Amino acid sequence: MKASASNLNQTQIAENVIDRCKKGDVRAFRELYDAYSAAMYNICLRMTNNVSDAEDTLQEAFIQVHRHIHKLERDGSISAWIKRIVVNHCLNTLRKKKVYFEDVDEVEVMTEEGVDEAQHTWTVAAVKSAIRDLPQGYRTVLNLYLFEEYSHREIAEMLGITESTVKTQYMRAKEKVRQIVKQQNVTR
Amino acid sequence: MPDNFESFIQQHRDEFEEQGPSPRVWGALEKELTNQRKGRVVLLLQKNWFKAAVILVLFVNAGALFYFTKHKQQQRQELAVIAPEMQEAKAYYTSRINEKLEQINAYPVSELGLDSTARKELELRNDTYKALEKELKNNPGNERIRAALIRYYQLKLDLLDKILEELQEKRVTPGHTKKQYEAEI
Repeated sequence: MKASASNLNQTQIAENVIDRCKKGDVRAFRELYDAYSAAMYNICLRMTNNVSDAEDTLQEAFIQVHRHIHKLERDGSISAWIKRIVVNHCLNTLRKKKVYFEDVDEVEVMTEEGVDEAQHTWTVAAVKSAIRDLPQGYRTVLNLYLFEEYSHREIAEMLGITESTVKTQYMRAKEKVRQIVKQQNVTR
Repeated sequence: MPDNFESFIQQHRDEFEEQGPSPRVWGALEKELTNQRKGRVVLLLQKNWFKAAVILVLFVNAGALFYFTKHKQQQRQELAVIAPEMQEAKAYYTSRINEKLEQINAYPVSELGLDSTARKELELRNDTYKALEKELKNNPGNERIRAALIRYYQLKLDLLDKILEELQEKRVTPGHTKKQYEAEI
């Protein structure tokens, strides 16, 4: 069964696959790759925002998985472990592209007060498109929180910024998405 | 509490998933993993260079030993091939000479009346024998050398027979001294 990022925890792989991977069995590693590559590719695609970077990042991440799989403890969660490696590689890819995750002045924090959500007509395509159009920093925070389900604190640690900055950037990202979708609705 | 936007994402979560990566990714990954394995072997050799060197030396020694043994066997085979009749003669006389030598050696050294040099000369493979055998190997078709070697065997047998006769004349049986013999009778 292939995993999507949303049902990653339910992904089943044969019990001995990890042990065989630890012994360097390439066929077992192929089984592991088949089970998780789709979900991990989607993370890469959301984070890097283009197919070429997503595939390169996925490849590098799985090389890392292969290299360090012997460190995985028997009762450790393979999906969470692989996901963390993939996310770290995505962040490295972004850093190489000079994307900075900076702290922001809390005074600038926007609130959602007064936002009339009822006026938005959400569609998957519209939201996808809007997220793709977000500035890289906002998109990263929004993806990590909304799609990869990391907490604000975990995201803050990953990006090396404060938790309050993460919250602020998430709020701004959501607001930006709303604006883009609203704009799309108007122009249609 | 999730707002309208977050609720929408949660409800349509799976629809946000795209197709998996192209097969190109696994192709490149597989190539990389194969190189990694090769690299690991080199790294392992670098880390354990001393063990590798010892193993190499042992391997070379084993090879040399094998070659040497094989070469020796070949030499023996060659002798048997080039002078088969001499091989037969050698087997016959060697067997007889050794039989006599065993009988002689069963007597106490004190009764033999021979010093160590003389006893050594009685042995089959003395210097004369070795020189003749070497000459035969170098000139397997030389009749004079063949005849000389046969003569050597015969003389050696004669000599051993004479010694045994003398011992018997003294009425000494193997394992007994003359005094013991006299006491018995």
